[in-house]
Amino acid sequence: MILDFSKNATIARIRTFYGKRITTEQYRDLASKKSVEEAAEYLKKNTHYATALANIDTNSIHRGFLEDILRKEHFNTYVKFCKFQQLNTEEFYKYFIVWLEIVEILNRIRHINADTNDEYIIDLPSFLINKASFDLIEMAKAKNFRELLGVLRNTPYYNILKNKAVDENGKVDFNLCEMDLRTYYLKWLINVVEKHFKGQSKEKLRLQIMTQIDLINIINAYRMKSIFHASNDEVRKNVLPYHGRISVKQQNELIESDNVSSFLSILSKTIYGKQLDNITECTDSIQFEKQISKLRFNLAKRALLFSENAAVSLYSAIYIFEVEVDNITRIVEGIRYGKDSSYMESLIIT
Amino acid sequence: MSIVKMEYVNIVGLESSLNDVLLRIIDSGCFHIEPSIKTIPEEGDEFKPLTETNPYSDLLKLLIDLDFGGHFKYKQVGFEELLGKPLSELEDFADSMKKQTNEISSRIRNLEDTIQRRNKELILLKHLQNMNVDLQELFNIKNIRIRFGRLPVDSYPKLGYYSNKHFEFVPYDTDKNYMWGIYFTPVNFVDETDKIFNSLYFERVWIPDFVKGTPHEGSSIIKKMIFDLERSLDEAEKERTDFIKENADMLNKVYCRVTFLYNLFSLRSYASVLKGKFYIVGFVPQKQIKKFTEMFDTLNDVSIVVKPPDSEPAFSTPVQLKNNAFSKPFSMFVEMYGLPSYKGFNPTNLVAITYTLLFGIMFGDLGQGLMLSLIGYLIYSKTKNKLAAIMTRVGFSSAFFGFIFGSVFGFENLLNPVYKSIGLKHKPLDVMENTDNIIIWAICLGIILILISIVLNISIKLKNKNYTEALFNNNGIAGFVFYSALLAALALKAYKHINLFTPAYVICLLILPILLMFFREPLGCLAERKKFHMESGIGDFIATNFFEVFEFLLGYATNTLSFVRIGGFVFSHAGMMSVVMLLADSAAKGASPIVIVIGNIFVMGMEGLIVGIQVLRLEFYEIFSRFYDGDGRSFEPVKVNYDPVIN
Repeated sequence: MILDFSKNATIARIRTFYGKRITTEQYRDLASKKSVEEAAEYLKKNTHYATALANIDTNSIHRGFLEDILRKEHFNTYVKFCKFQQLNTEEFYKYFIVWLEIVEILNRIRHINADTNDEYIIDLPSFLINKASFDLIEMAKAKNFRELLGVLRNTPYYNILKNKAVDENGKVDFNLCEMDLRTYYLKWLINVVEKHFKGQSKEKLRLQIMTQIDLINIINAYRMKSIFHASNDEVRKNVLPYHGRISVKQQNELIESDNVSSFLSILSKTIYGKQLDNITECTDSIQFEKQISKLRFNLAKRALLFSENAAVSLYSAIYIFEVEVDNITRIVEGIRYGKDSSYMESLIIT
Repeated sequence: MSIVKMEYVNIVGLESSLNDVLLRIIDSGCFHIEPSIKTIPEEGDEFKPLTETNPYSDLLKLLIDLDFGGHFKYKQVGFEELLGKPLSELEDFADSMKKQTNEISSRIRNLEDTIQRRNKELILLKHLQNMNVDLQELFNIKNIRIRFGRLPVDSYPKLGYYSNKHFEFVPYDTDKNYMWGIYFTPVNFVDETDKIFNSLYFERVWIPDFVKGTPHEGSSIIKKMIFDLERSLDEAEKERTDFIKENADMLNKVYCRVTFLYNLFSLRSYASVLKGKFYIVGFVPQKQIKKFTEMFDTLNDVSIVVKPPDSEPAFSTPVQLKNNAFSKPFSMFVEMYGLPSYKGFNPTNLVAITYTLLFGIMFGDLGQGLMLSLIGYLIYSKTKNKLAAIMTRVGFSSAFFGFIFGSVFGFENLLNPVYKSIGLKHKPLDVMENTDNIIIWAICLGIILILISIVLNISIKLKNKNYTEALFNNNGIAGFVFYSALLAALALKAYKHINLFTPAYVICLLILPILLMFFREPLGCLAERKKFHMESGIGDFIATNFFEVFEFLLGYATNTLSFVRIGGFVFSHAGMMSVVMLLADSAAKGASPIVIVIGNIFVMGMEGLIVGIQVLRLEFYEIFSRFYDGDGRSFEPVKVNYDPVIN
């Protein structure tokens, strides 16, 4: 794989596409719009979403529909890059679909637990229906966890979920399902990277995955401590069983921190904390998560610019554009609920 | 080297003087402010940050949010005449603007919405043109409700989920994103069905009551209405344009005044306070420190302390590059990659020299080079664009090498009399006659640049006491010894038939450096007196380092060969211009000058751009990546930001 220069066309294509990303100036313009319709029109006329929105009547567009279009476009971008040089035949490139399948299973479990079965079909991304390894419409029809397992029977997810206890109200432990499914995904991804990549490419992919794990763990631990005031044992249960650039000792110190301020103080001494300005003074959980997510975003940007491997470029670009869709979604949501443009700008990652 | 020397400045004074101090800081244009609270230990009853709500933010927000329908953008203007005006007067002006703009905008929006609605109805009726039925009769059917509209194509598969519900959707037309259609549902289930379709983003189109008869007849009525609405819209738009024109001057002045006040007040958050005293810190270039401190001489209750830049560990010193007139515009490339650290190495001069040299060789043409310089100069004098300034410089280099290659706008023999007049028999270097030599010289140039980069890396890393990188890495001494020894042995064997590949030479200068690179991490830890931890077992250590060293060795080969492109572009330029000349020769009489002009413009545009990018690629990948980190912080003196943004 280290001698594989045949995918340079894909790298060039991804970088060209990266050049079309939405700029800070454009985010600012978008945030200044007065309505969802105006925002959609702006995206249609000024950004790379123009093709996706070309035949959409932005004058009456629903916020959810706009978000669906953007997410579909993001997924289509991934499919387009994978198909370009038949990368989709290589195992690594299935990663995004595997991830989206897990996201959908977790969504479904959330709806079963909340007894809002009929609402799941609304959230279901149509673009995944023909790509998923199981029938999503059948999964939507499942009325309880047992029926959900029936739909997943021939997938690897079945074995992960089959022994999960269902209580008398038909609910399963969502956190446990989430941890196990995420762990399965990361284990699968790390194995694929170990098996199919060597040298710099392997290191760069590993670095991104491990950073992703560290940041998920940091955010989870922070949320559990600051919002749910969870005990150390509860926090530990929600930590993925991997660590990247944070040592086991640092991870333990974070979990066992007495309060949020000592958590932030310990974090500030880690490799991630050192990259953040004033993290010990951060009292807002939204801003905290934004700052943490930005670290992975910066890493992906750097990897994309300097990588000479298609997998690294694709993995980075898909994450970067996922952040872009999240940014737009936050802005459009802010417009819908009449938030200040400056508030919306403070939430986006660039 | 080549980085502006800074001083760390502490300003302390009475809180009543804070605004005066901040005004002077803005006026100075050379103070990089830092949050002073970072310098104060967490424990103890010391200075606290000044936390206040900016009293100008609401007014500024109001001005930014004024609805001009995208027809007006604020400009930076002087606001001297507003200096004495109270804030309330500015607020009154802004309120009045808001009222008037809102009134016009809402009128325009209403008209646009109505036109939009009518157009949608028109489209719907267009899809129903073949129905020769009175629409009102359809709506009068008892017990069944009918809804016209369109469903997103993506929502259609989801209808399968509702197979047991009481409705029928009949699509009658499909475009890329929507399915136009009708759904029918019994009166008893209308609410449930509407809810389902709403959740699937079905856009219902109401057929208004005034539409009578068949769809065709209805279309004519709506078209007439749209015509009248559009006329009213034009009038309202004109009214808005006139209003903006009338008030633009005052709007700009008020906006700039409020922005200034807002920015001035925002700077207060960088200060810390204790018992009526404030404390501000920041950096000032050493050369301007005297002038800066003199600005505060008239403020008796303010004192300034100047310290060395590294005296405060809470801040890394910001970086301002110091470049000479020639290299200054090339700082653009350095900044693009990232600034050096304060004690780091400013590579701008190196970039300026190597970029100019490489560009000149790869784009050697006397005429085109001078033309490039002229165009660059003209653009720069109008726009002050740094890229244009770079064009001016590299153009001269192209002209110089064009003279060496004997090429003027593709004419290869035009300079022959000049060469003869200076005593030469022919052009100094005929490109097409020296293909092998040019490729070899290109590689030699590449080797020199790579070796310079490695030496720079060694000196920087030694300075920073990073012994792993300086001694044992592929861009350290081990790499330097291996690379230069291998090339020297190969060159002597090929050209002088001297065989240096003796066992001692191979073991000491080739194998030993490879082993040092392989064990660079444990050796580096040893040199830095740190404990070495093997993260994931001996097997993994060997595999990882084997592939990495393999990649280093491969990298030496590919990076060296990468410089072949320098020679490649020399031929490419000569080849492209010979095609232009060939086309000119075969063109009809009189057309050949046009072909030559167009051909030159095309080659200058296309090849100039490609060469520019390729040289930048060589700079970033083959040179910068060996020694440069680009992790410095930019020196950003305090100034008022007139962009319409609130932080």
